[in-house]
Amino acid sequence: MAYNKPIPDPDPLSKPFWEGARAGKLMLPRCTSCNRVHWYPRHICPNCHAREIEWFEASGEGRVHTFAVQHRAFGGWAEEVPFVTAYIDLNEGDRMFTVLRGVDPNKPDLNWIGARVRVEFEPASADVHIAFWRVIQG
Amino acid sequence: MPGELSRAAAIVGAAEANEIGYPETPKTALQLHIEAIKNVSDQTGIPISRIDGIFSAGWSSQIAEHLGLHPRYIDTTSVGGCSFEMHVHHALAAIHAGIIDVALVTHGESGWSSRATGGRGTGRPRGSGDPWDPGSLFSNPYGISGAPSNYSHAMTRHNHRWGSTPEDFAHIAVVTRQWATLNPRAIMHSRDVHPQGGPITIEDVQTARLVSWPLTLLHCCLVTDHGGAVLIAKPEIARSLRTKPVWIAGAGESMSHSNMLEMEDFTATSAAASSAAAYRMAGMGPEDMEMAMVYDSFTVTAGITMEMLGLAPRGEGFRLWKDGHAAPGGRFPINTNGGGLSFNHSGMYGMQLLVEAYRQLSGTAEDGIHGLPGKQTKARSCIVNGTGGSLSTTGTLVLVAD
Ligand SMILES: [Zn+2]
Repeated sequence: MAYNKPIPDPDPLSKPFWEGARAGKLMLPRCTSCNRVHWYPRHICPNCHAREIEWFEASGEGRVHTFAVQHRAFGGWAEEVPFVTAYIDLNEGDRMFTVLRGVDPNKPDLNWIGARVRVEFEPASADVHIAFWRVIQG
Repeated sequence: MPGELSRAAAIVGAAEANEIGYPETPKTALQLHIEAIKNVSDQTGIPISRIDGIFSAGWSSQIAEHLGLHPRYIDTTSVGGCSFEMHVHHALAAIHAGIIDVALVTHGESGWSSRATGGRGTGRPRGSGDPWDPGSLFSNPYGISGAPSNYSHAMTRHNHRWGSTPEDFAHIAVVTRQWATLNPRAIMHSRDVHPQGGPITIEDVQTARLVSWPLTLLHCCLVTDHGGAVLIAKPEIARSLRTKPVWIAGAGESMSHSNMLEMEDFTATSAAASSAAAYRMAGMGPEDMEMAMVYDSFTVTAGITMEMLGLAPRGEGFRLWKDGHAAPGGRFPINTNGGGLSFNHSGMYGMQLLVEAYRQLSGTAEDGIHGLPGKQTKARSCIVNGTGGSLSTTGTLVLVAD
């Protein structure tokens, strides 16, 4: 079945992320001046304001910072309710937003906060693969 | 010692549109603006032609033109529901600087009517990012559908970090509803006004339909129409009117982020910074405040805000409601109009905060069209805090009675 949820329209700023996603790699931007990783992609480092930003392949692992269970949604997501959304603390620093996999949305548990997660990519179209995070053991 | 701007101007009147809430005939935002502006002009006796500064969340040139005005100061700050508190801050500075004498802060929003006519605010997801918000490319694809689906993440984090529970926050909804039952203009005033109106219990809040766990429908604000306007004037004018001045003792504003991806601490807002600025200007502190009007887009918003304003220990803002202090007859009334939760919430609620704060401090709360005596507090000072965006932006005012 065709992917029936909103498909991002990649912009030039985030091109390396989408190229990485197609290859199953999590690419992140990092400032070459202060070495800080930032998410989302920017025109300038929000920490030191240098404009030299490089992309590198990240571990693809992190931990759940916080989450919610969505019981109301629109479009393709309406068919998925309830589903869990979460902010992920990346091992390399800063945070991503996602739909969290590997948990039961009908049994929300505060202990999910801090759980280890790993990224996976789902093809939404030939060009666009979307990052989802899944809770892993340990 | 108070700062230079403290009491350099006063709010001299505050009024609403003729019909707010769920109007029988759909209204436009412009119509709601104009009704409120006419009402505040009538209330204060200040002719509309005397307004020389205009402040609105995005539409100042259109409104000024509609009124046939050619203002000397035009401000369209639009950063969410706290914009109106910021407008008061900006108007205070413009009056102090001698640029203007009379400022109009105005609001009109047909949150209900535009929904009824299929307009904006229907919460459809977008896949593409907004070029002004590059982070949205990385949040829009994940089924987020408006404010509740974001704010719920803050409640979860608060519960985890501070050991609070959704039931703790449910007390905010219950107590705020008590205030709404004293305000006939509140949507949730009674069963006569709305099928789900009238008093509610903790169980009602916790068993209501889940919107975004841990938030049930009754942890969330309403979606209504509202128009409101306040006039702010320099002291010489403020003392010459038939209405009572409410002095702007302190004002401050701040922000922590725009996109929630950049929210460092999900249990804190920039109200810590904006209130610090407001207290400093006022030469007053939390201990000097006698009531509060704080944005309650969700129960969690109000709870966290009290912590940020220094009115409750970290992690325990909800206690002001749970222990009964915020309720009618309590030692520290909060959201005496019935709040965004049970009175009225049009999308940007900052104007409703201002109108109610003016009414309480000027002793005219009963005259809110059909007000009842029970709605009046004895407070002589009020802290007002607006919160905009996704717990993103804040504007704080310290207001004092004459
Ligand atoms: Zn840097």
